[in-house]
Amino acid sequence: MTREKLKGAEIVVEELKNEGVEVAFGIPGGVLLDLYDVLYKDDVIRHILMRHEQCAAHAADGYARVLGRPGVCIATSGPGATNLVTGLANANMDSSPVVALTGQVPTAAIGSNAFQEASTFTITMPITKHNFLVTRTEDLPKVIHNAFYIANTGRKGVVLVDLPKDVLATRVDVNLHPKETFTGYKPKIKPNPVQIKKTAEVLANAERPLILAGGGVISANATEELRHLAEFLGAPVVTTLMGKGAIPENHPFSLGMAGMHGRIYANRAISECDALLSVGTRFSDRLTGWQLDQFAPEATLIHVDIDAAEINKNLQVDIPLVGDAKLALEEILKWLEKKRTTSPGSVWVQRIREMHSACEECIGDVRREGASISDMLIKEISKVLDDDVIVTTEVGQCQMFAAHYYITKKPRTFISSGGLGTMGFGFPAAIGAKVAAPDKRVVDLAGDGSFLMTCHDLATCVENDIPVVVCIFHNCYLGMVRQWQELFFEKRYSNTGLGTIPDFVRLAEAFGAYGERVEKPEELKDALQNAFESGKPAVLDMIVGQEDKVLPMIPPGGSIVGMIGTERCKPI
Amino acid sequence: MQTHIISLLVEDHPGVLTRMSGMFTMRGINITSLTVSPCEKEGLSRMTVAIDGSESELEKVRKQLSNLIEVVKVVDLKEEKAVIRDLCLMKVHVKDSNARSEVMQLAEAYGAKIANATLDSVIIELTEEPRTIDRFVDLMKHFGIKQLFRTGVTAIGMDTGGGLER
Ligand SMILES: Cc1ncc(C[n+]2csc(CCOP(=O)(O)OP(=O)(O)O)c2C)c(N)n1
Ligand SMILES: [Mg+2]
Repeated sequence: MTREKLKGAEIVVEELKNEGVEVAFGIPGGVLLDLYDVLYKDDVIRHILMRHEQCAAHAADGYARVLGRPGVCIATSGPGATNLVTGLANANMDSSPVVALTGQVPTAAIGSNAFQEASTFTITMPITKHNFLVTRTEDLPKVIHNAFYIANTGRKGVVLVDLPKDVLATRVDVNLHPKETFTGYKPKIKPNPVQIKKTAEVLANAERPLILAGGGVISANATEELRHLAEFLGAPVVTTLMGKGAIPENHPFSLGMAGMHGRIYANRAISECDALLSVGTRFSDRLTGWQLDQFAPEATLIHVDIDAAEINKNLQVDIPLVGDAKLALEEILKWLEKKRTTSPGSVWVQRIREMHSACEECIGDVRREGASISDMLIKEISKVLDDDVIVTTEVGQCQMFAAHYYITKKPRTFISSGGLGTMGFGFPAAIGAKVAAPDKRVVDLAGDGSFLMTCHDLATCVENDIPVVVCIFHNCYLGMVRQWQELFFEKRYSNTGLGTIPDFVRLAEAFGAYGERVEKPEELKDALQNAFESGKPAVLDMIVGQEDKVLPMIPPGGSIVGMIGTERCKPI
Repeated sequence: MQTHIISLLVEDHPGVLTRMSGMFTMRGINITSLTVSPCEKEGLSRMTVAIDGSESELEKVRKQLSNLIEVVKVVDLKEEKAVIRDLCLMKVHVKDSNARSEVMQLAEAYGAKIANATLDSVIIELTEEPRTIDRFVDLMKHFGIKQLFRTGVTAIGMDTGGGLER
């Protein structure tokens, strides 16, 4: 600890650097002048000026998901902070570590409806893991340290620090880099050995074991352990949307994403298994469907999660196992190796092989009979992009096309808004991803509706030389909602038509980005090549069928065995 | 539906109460009584929350409360293993000396104290288990309750529950 007389804003920046922060995404404002003045003089932290605070939060979120450590966003008081809200809620729902710094009116003015005052502390309380309103400059070191500690440990999440102007401007004598934390905050990471043993015994004796991997596997960097366990057990792996990348989707044991828009084979495996090891998932209704008694009815349910509050929240399980996914999987594997188990029945192995190859056939065949233009495009994209490309998605059909067909091969290369389903997320998240991994190609698989919600940040990309590629599934509709109207509301397309504007190519060009139209799936490969070679941020306007649907799906109220639109899937 | 008493040890920070009550609001659970007070350790406060809800609902809230960063400890106090008290102050109308002596007799039978008396009313103080207070309040309704104040339950576990001791 060193003791110095520093201005609040200087303390903040010193502590950020001590936490290893290299990048922050934000927009300044009146109450943040002191902070931005320090950032101006600082040459460690790169501040990227965004064009909307929502994008700053999404960018920090994308950055965090790629690197596995906190992303930082900054916004001014009042409207700046309220603009952050969607982005913070999104990150928190997906347990992504983000630290948000917001300016606040001077402490003396708080509660007086001062200019640009909003009660950021109370507004963000329910959408953060924790938040702070700092009222004394002396508290800054401890608060900033704890903000990062809390955001990045246990079940990760968002921590917001609200910084009144006078707290940033005051100079105090202070000890930097404190280590103290909260007495009540002890993230439990070591799994209970008794539960490990129970789990291992169930798995060892199962004839049809299955692993369900959620985002927690990726967040805990437990993908290697997961693959080892699957291979040792001879158990297939299905994932949630957030779990995409937990196992290479071309691995012979991978059956892809399960759930409402998942692959029929993945859902089938859930119905057929007799032991389900679920890791780092919260059993959202998008996975389970709405008839819980139909979800894995024959299986002993095991639930590994770092958050005890998730156990028995959505689904009643047989064996809870609270702790870090990596540690838990390691321990289970150790136990199994010691006991040298019998591997599952060859009938199950044969069944998996059958399902995996059916899967490959349906997913890989670009011109499969009955395929829509959207289907063909996403399959083509999956073929053309190499394993290292980071894909982000918007929300809607575009997202589910990506989730269903895009073959994700590495963890942290598929980034999507899972819990909140936020249109406009993918593009700013791509910006954050590209900043986190400048050597990797980053592609946002977008819908026309979603992209218009945050496309202004093309300016940020061009100004800061962040060349991400946006591929728009241009169907002239809020397609996912339209699909529901088609299927369940007799084609009454209430307020889902977007018209044919804008011209996305010219929109890109207006920002100084590269734009190209893709009229046919065959043109895609070259267009992507052109986009990457332009070296600029790029927008590909992919014209798709206006009434393309993303199928199969579990209809509303349905169960995991009741998918509709399965005609194009190979029967198994 | 059943009344549950949850005892929380929390850091004495502004906002903790909002955070805690927000957990209940989010799940649509009604708090029937709530007390906040200092406790045996400086810097921490104790909250005693009474809620109506099912066992499974309670279990979910309890875990989510434990997740709050400023919550040090959460204990679900079981009625048979806790001393539970509520303090009630009420102003009861006494229309004549007959009524007055009846009220005072009943108060005595319940172990209540007369905190103040005027010509037409008495202020009664009673510290008891909530149910006993309910019964006493019902009795006093016959005479006419002008004002009624209850602090809400506070409770202490007979074993180690709720405290910092191991
Ligand atoms: C911010 C926000 N508003 C509304 C919705 C509801 N919604 C879900 S999907 C969707 C349509 C998305 O349209 P588009 O981006 O064009 O994608 P498409 O489904 O056409 O591929 C809407 C409006 C949402 N998820 N997020
Ligand atoms: Mg669309």
